[in-house]
Amino acid sequence: MTMAAMDRTGSTSGQRQRSLESIFYPRSVAVCGVVPTPGTVPHDIFRNILDSGFTGTLYPVAPFKRSICSVRAYRYVIDIDDDVDLAVIVYPANVVHKAIRQCGEKGVRAVIVVSAGFREVGPTGAERERQIRDICDDYGIDMIGPNCLGVINTDPASCLNASFARKMPQAGRIAFLSQSGALCTAVLDYARDRAIGFSKFVSFGNKAGVSEVDLLHYLYEDDKTDVILLYLEEITDGRALAEAARRVTRGPKGKPILALKSGRTPQGAKAAASHTGSLAGQDAVADAIFRESGILRVDSIEQLFNAAVMYAYQPLPQGNRVAIVTNAGGPGVMATDAAIALGLEVPSFEQATSASLKASLPAAANIKDPVDVIGDARSDRYCAALAAVLDDPNVDQALVILTPQSMTDIEAIARGVIQVQQSATKAIACSFMGGADVAPGVHLLQRAHIPHFILPEWACRAMAEVQRIRKWRELPEDRPEALPVDRDAAAAIVDAAPAGYLPEDQALAVLAAYGLALPPFRLVRTPEEAVAFADQIGYPVVLRVVSPQIVHKTEVKGVALDLGDAAAVHDAFEGMMDHLADVRPGAEVSGVLVRGMIPHGHEVILGAQRDAAFGPVLMFGLGGVYVELFGDVTFALAPISRARAGRMIDGVKAGKLLRGLRGHPPADIAGVQESLMRLGQLMVDFERVAELDVNPLIARPVEAGGNMVADVYIRLDP
Amino acid sequence: MATVEERVKAVTGRVLGIDPSEIKPEHSFTFDLGAESVQSVELVAAYEVEFKIEMDEDAALAVETVGSAVEFITRVCKEQNVPAEE
Repeated sequence: MTMAAMDRTGSTSGQRQRSLESIFYPRSVAVCGVVPTPGTVPHDIFRNILDSGFTGTLYPVAPFKRSICSVRAYRYVIDIDDDVDLAVIVYPANVVHKAIRQCGEKGVRAVIVVSAGFREVGPTGAERERQIRDICDDYGIDMIGPNCLGVINTDPASCLNASFARKMPQAGRIAFLSQSGALCTAVLDYARDRAIGFSKFVSFGNKAGVSEVDLLHYLYEDDKTDVILLYLEEITDGRALAEAARRVTRGPKGKPILALKSGRTPQGAKAAASHTGSLAGQDAVADAIFRESGILRVDSIEQLFNAAVMYAYQPLPQGNRVAIVTNAGGPGVMATDAAIALGLEVPSFEQATSASLKASLPAAANIKDPVDVIGDARSDRYCAALAAVLDDPNVDQALVILTPQSMTDIEAIARGVIQVQQSATKAIACSFMGGADVAPGVHLLQRAHIPHFILPEWACRAMAEVQRIRKWRELPEDRPEALPVDRDAAAAIVDAAPAGYLPEDQALAVLAAYGLALPPFRLVRTPEEAVAFADQIGYPVVLRVVSPQIVHKTEVKGVALDLGDAAAVHDAFEGMMDHLADVRPGAEVSGVLVRGMIPHGHEVILGAQRDAAFGPVLMFGLGGVYVELFGDVTFALAPISRARAGRMIDGVKAGKLLRGLRGHPPADIAGVQESLMRLGQLMVDFERVAELDVNPLIARPVEAGGNMVADVYIRLDP
Repeated sequence: MATVEERVKAVTGRVLGIDPSEIKPEHSFTFDLGAESVQSVELVAAYEVEFKIEMDEDAALAVETVGSAVEFITRVCKEQNVPAEE
């Protein structure tokens, strides 16, 4: 799918600017399709709006019913003698279109379609969904859903629970957006237990109208929201999502986005033929692009809320230095190892801190970081140590570790930590290790919004992620720059070629037009022509058969390397043709490519493919035969800036290799950066390029001649 | 003699608590007449009793309007050799 097509059929975010005020702050709401039976979705949604203390006016639309919950009912929404900002549609799927059309006639600005029975049930439902989306577009109605739980706004200015969640959550600074309705109810229950409040709570279901992208833009502007949590099952328009996330996380209001994403799609990867395609399942691409868009991806609801609590209720640490206070040496060491491995620092304390610790702890205690308050420590020791380390200017945040021993007063320690937190300006995380014994203390911490992690390593990971996001926000803004390329020369080849794999000589010519460094090459048809060209460029040379039917040349002995003289070239050419005649008698051979032999260097892969959700995506990693074995690759949206190309290289182990290991000189990293930028430009310029592998690019020091493309593979769409 | 349409309207009105004279063939059971999902099941059962027929429940529940119900029941009566009008 091309980018242009995605804009038409994928996200709706580009279709018009949505304000969404009518969804969150409606002056009047009609619930269309209400029934009088308690315990049913249509009834309970009406009841929830009524009970939530909605500040606007509420109308039930229930044909042939005089009233619902003592509120006068209307047969149709068009019968309501007042303006209606928002309609909540709870009719069965097969008549939802009628209700939305009436809403359009009535001038309703937004609808929440709770009803199921759309795209999620197959082709008939998909057609219904298309129909209601078209009606909404015709009337300019913003639609949440279908197939969703609804919307909650805890802001006292609205107090709207237009959902079938059992209870209205308490007000808070966290917004939650979810593609799954069922998950929402579980999350609400989970959050209530931990006294976590929400600003906005949106189940957006099939996102046929308003998408997560629209909601992110809205929440960026929402004064009631500090942190955004996102549960996604599928990404429809990854490019718009990345763009929205960058705005939300890096804009002047800078709000963190934490995402839990499921719905991996390995089928897509299996179907792809290139290395890039096989490695670039949407999940791997999403992972890399989330990182580069400032979205913090987590693996569980537990992590989602711990990180959310860290952002919403704890001060943002100004650095990566963590003080550890523990009553057990082993977990303290484990936490230290994890912290350092994750890029955090375990600092030395100032003399005053050491003196304070020495005064309040037993002689056997360790007063260096990690501070060991010893197994028999009670709350007084914990509090003194925690307060001392938080006062230290070398400390940005603290981690409190507790193991339950017979004398450990767990709840008192939790209360002590909460007390210290109240006067502290630095973040605290806790890991009370265990289960039943520590549970009352953990509960106290959670209700006081102190993030708690079952394992200290998990706490370190969350702290490291906070640092990553902080650094991300501090990165200077960078934009892709256009490099000089010969687009016309590339177009002459790409535009004339049929769908499928470009012959190697043409693929190389496309790369040459885009300024990638290549050895001299020529397509020849006779041994004599091969020798003549080899004489011209100098030995040794390589011969490679070129045939539209032969992609994997080595399988048919279609490659001859390191040919040192004319006789070797002549013999290799003839041998290659003889062998081909035996093993592939019908193959159409365009000729043999003669090119210069590239000296040894580091093999890296530069790839690109057109992802269904993200559009043109670039890949970089360790190349050659190790690509799939190690999977040491990273991705980025094309086109790419120089700085982003640098971060791609630094983001994988291959980057370390290029920087020079064990006395080896560094390769031409700037050249690799530029090659990535040029390939990104190529992908944007030519929508027909479906996938592309430069594998390997031989990366060498500048003084040794710099980088050189050794092999390329380009597939064109029709 | 009561037509199929008259009998369908009478049964529908009785189950949904609506005056049959207000029911029109183009009315959707849910959108126009406000039938709840449980009432849809009750309607199917009441039609079976009224017409002394047996209907495929999934097919019957997929019927959207009163007019379609008349056509559906007429067809089933014919298939099961039951007089549709009385």
